[in-house]
Amino acid sequence: MSTIGDIFKGTNNIDFPKMWRPAAIASLTLIFLSVGAFFVQGLNLGIDFEGGTSFEVVSPGTSVSEARDFLSGLGAADSKIQIVDGDTLRIRSDIEDPVRAGEIRNELAALGDVTGFESVGPTWGEEITQKATRALLFFFLAIAVYISARLEWRMAVGALVAVIHDLIISVGIYSIFQFEVTPATVIAFLTIMGYSLYDTIVVYDKVHEVTARVGATGKYTYTEMMNLALNRVIMRSLNTTVTSVLPVLSMLIIGAFILGAVTLQEFAIALLVGLIVGGYSSLFVASSIVAWLKEKEPRHSEIRDKLEAKGLTEGTRTVDNDDAVLGTTPRRGAGAKRTDTALKDRPISADEGPDASDTDAKPVSKAKTEKSKTEKSKTESPKSDKSDKSDKAESSKAAPAASGSEPGGSIPPRPRKKKKR
Amino acid sequence: MSRRQLVHLIGITVLSIAGLIATFAAGNEPLLGLDLQGGVEVRYQATEETTTESLDQAVEIIRSRVDSLGVAEPEISRVDEGILVQLPGVKDTDRALELVGATAELEFRPVVQRFNPEATLADAGIDDPVEFYDEAIASSQAAEVSTTLAPDTTVAEGAEEFPSTSVPGTTIPPTTTTILETDEEKIEFVENLFGIGQAPSLTDLEDDDGTTNVIMAEFDDEGNETARYELGPVGLKGEGLTDANAVLQGVEWVVAPEFKAGDEGINAFNAIATACFNRDPTCSVGAVAMALDGRVISAPQVNAAEFGRDQITISGGPFSEQEAKDLAVALRFGALPVELEPEQQRVVSGSLGDDALNAGMIAGLIGLALVAVYVIWYYRVLGMVAIASLLISGALLWTIISWLGTTQGLALTLAGITGLIVSIGVSVDSNIVYFEHVKEDMRNGRTLGSSVERAFPIAFSTIVKADVASLIAAVLLYALTSGAVRGFAFYLGLATILDLVATYFFMGPAVKWLARHFADKPQSFGVGALAASAAAGESA
Repeated sequence: MSTIGDIFKGTNNIDFPKMWRPAAIASLTLIFLSVGAFFVQGLNLGIDFEGGTSFEVVSPGTSVSEARDFLSGLGAADSKIQIVDGDTLRIRSDIEDPVRAGEIRNELAALGDVTGFESVGPTWGEEITQKATRALLFFFLAIAVYISARLEWRMAVGALVAVIHDLIISVGIYSIFQFEVTPATVIAFLTIMGYSLYDTIVVYDKVHEVTARVGATGKYTYTEMMNLALNRVIMRSLNTTVTSVLPVLSMLIIGAFILGAVTLQEFAIALLVGLIVGGYSSLFVASSIVAWLKEKEPRHSEIRDKLEAKGLTEGTRTVDNDDAVLGTTPRRGAGAKRTDTALKDRPISADEGPDASDTDAKPVSKAKTEKSKTEKSKTESPKSDKSDKSDKAESSKAAPAASGSEPGGSIPPRPRKKKKR
Repeated sequence: MSRRQLVHLIGITVLSIAGLIATFAAGNEPLLGLDLQGGVEVRYQATEETTTESLDQAVEIIRSRVDSLGVAEPEISRVDEGILVQLPGVKDTDRALELVGATAELEFRPVVQRFNPEATLADAGIDDPVEFYDEAIASSQAAEVSTTLAPDTTVAEGAEEFPSTSVPGTTIPPTTTTILETDEEKIEFVENLFGIGQAPSLTDLEDDDGTTNVIMAEFDDEGNETARYELGPVGLKGEGLTDANAVLQGVEWVVAPEFKAGDEGINAFNAIATACFNRDPTCSVGAVAMALDGRVISAPQVNAAEFGRDQITISGGPFSEQEAKDLAVALRFGALPVELEPEQQRVVSGSLGDDALNAGMIAGLIGLALVAVYVIWYYRVLGMVAIASLLISGALLWTIISWLGTTQGLALTLAGITGLIVSIGVSVDSNIVYFEHVKEDMRNGRTLGSSVERAFPIAFSTIVKADVASLIAAVLLYALTSGAVRGFAFYLGLATILDLVATYFFMGPAVKWLARHFADKPQSFGVGALAASAAAGESA
């Protein structure tokens, strides 16, 4: 059984926490390289940021791409080339050195009369950069508040670290390979930022949903629940990355390599790397940070201590399917009111099974281990009322998937039959 | 699936098709940016020797003025002794000149007469102008005529627009004010004061060389005329200003302009101020108008004969914070540091070249086709819903971008297109989040029908959570930035909203509708293997 096949069928059980450490090393290495390159060689800013020299050459019939080919022979392939009034080439290069500019001017005479030769200022003024930087700071603040309100502050920390991680690496690519930074590049960085954040929130929402549910059993460390959530969400993440990357990859391969549009090339590379890193950081960076922070919370560290006492903290245990699925059907009538006595009073019988099968639910769970059974009765969900609102809302109509197959553990309610329209 | 959802499904489909038809019928099409399609450029030359700094400053000012919606993405750069302005896709060079020419200077002119064609004295709350005049004079003490005569102190409904910009405490020095005798004179004086009477037609701007009297109007935000003025010759232009800021004075917002020293700055302003303060015939209303692009933006009363260069405040009646800031911006931006003359206008091609544009288009289409193949292969019928949902949001997007491109100069650059391509990934993701939830529920033993109903609200809540984050980004970046970043924010916000619309109104109902029709064939939903493995699990 290959892992990929498992993912496709949804039966995957990848040990994500085991990969967090290598991932952290990889991330730190990339960040180190990026920051290092940035400080050593900086960014190759294009004419839009720095200004340069503008040439005008009267050369009827020469196309932009022909002119570009000619310029790449002079080492100025990343110039901005326009045709003015149909017959004049305007070439704006980021070359500022007057000597070098003069040389290029002489070379350009091969194309036609050089009618214009002057220095130009940037089109992307300082003010735009300042405003954008300020806007980004406000944005990070706003997002931190937003995620703290909708999910929790630890996730806000994780999401921001992941976004900054992605931005550093994307900018790093530009610095390491000295790609020319154009206004479009800046937009690509912002696109990556937006995508990364979006992706992280989708993953977090799953984590939130799963931990609210499974956490009610009190049997698992946060990391283990996080692992379940990541396994649940990985197919979505893979598919989304594929559908986002495909158009960009197509732009890179077809646009840049086959059809020879060099301008698109670096741009597409940056975007491609950014999207992949964005998907990766949600699963490995953002999640590990939250798990690390959550394990420090008393609620979760107590559970960990208990499990440690039992010698259960070796590696990542898998969350039992029952614990994972039961959560989708929180007990009827808000678990808080029910006590263990009430539980015992309820007849426990396999007869509850048929209910499940004659509604639209099919039991798929397997028998549980002895260990988890005993624990479950101990820690029967007084916390289940804490679970997600949506769960509660669903509780009345949801059919319990695993009911009936579970003689020993908690007792799922008799499902109310759901009428379909 | 309820009737309401069916209505949503049909409604959104009809809407997007109607949008496309309207777009083609109106001939709207997206305005491709400078990099993709080129446009028109105007070169401005400084009329006198100038510094790099002031040219850079002028570049910033022109950028703000040209880019009205903030998303036209003009390219403006300093060149030797001048400025080069490039605008996307403007085939009509006159329009380009007009746009850039709108960076015309701010003018300070004395107000000779104020008209308020709509209002009557009764509107201003004056039943008997003669009595009003007599009382005002009578209640005044020797030093000055009472401020009762300042229009804003007695403003009534219908006449509130013009006094709102006047400075409280208008002073008519006794030395220059003769007490009027006849009723006619008194009525005329009061009518003049409140701008009552027939207004002449506006002066054609082309006839205005700044040396003669003109008739100009003031407008509110909606473009309705609020007042009309006869203005004297230009006394001072915007370059006489060095700065203008909105400041909070006590509890009131005021605008504080700063003038240059000397004859081309504060002295010229004081010449008008003195004339107005003394109610010379050239400024009988006692107000000075600031005009921009042939429109009066403000015409406050003058309450002193001489001002210090940076001691002036313009107060409204009162200004809101926004009004004060808008006026400050207009004063600053009108104040170009150098005088520029249009020298040359030319048509320019896209800087990416046709080859790159074509390559990008082909690549984009192939990329989309690959996405379609992938989701349909993986999700079968659901995949088709995802593609249809993408087409719906694509149609709406095209309609909006075309409309804004034609009417508002919204430009679509390479960066914008890339943003949209990535937003395709995000839109498809909304589908994937939902589909994966459905599959998870089925894995847990639900039927298709129940999974589809149950998973939607949960998946939609996830999508909303993530999309709101994108919207926060879009709103903040749009509000706080300029140039290309602003364009990006606009597209991000638009695509995100359309994603939510398509998900809620189309994708959800469509999946539910299909689930009813494919209830017995879960394999069409790409979940056949699941059903099989579930069955296997049951038998085990």
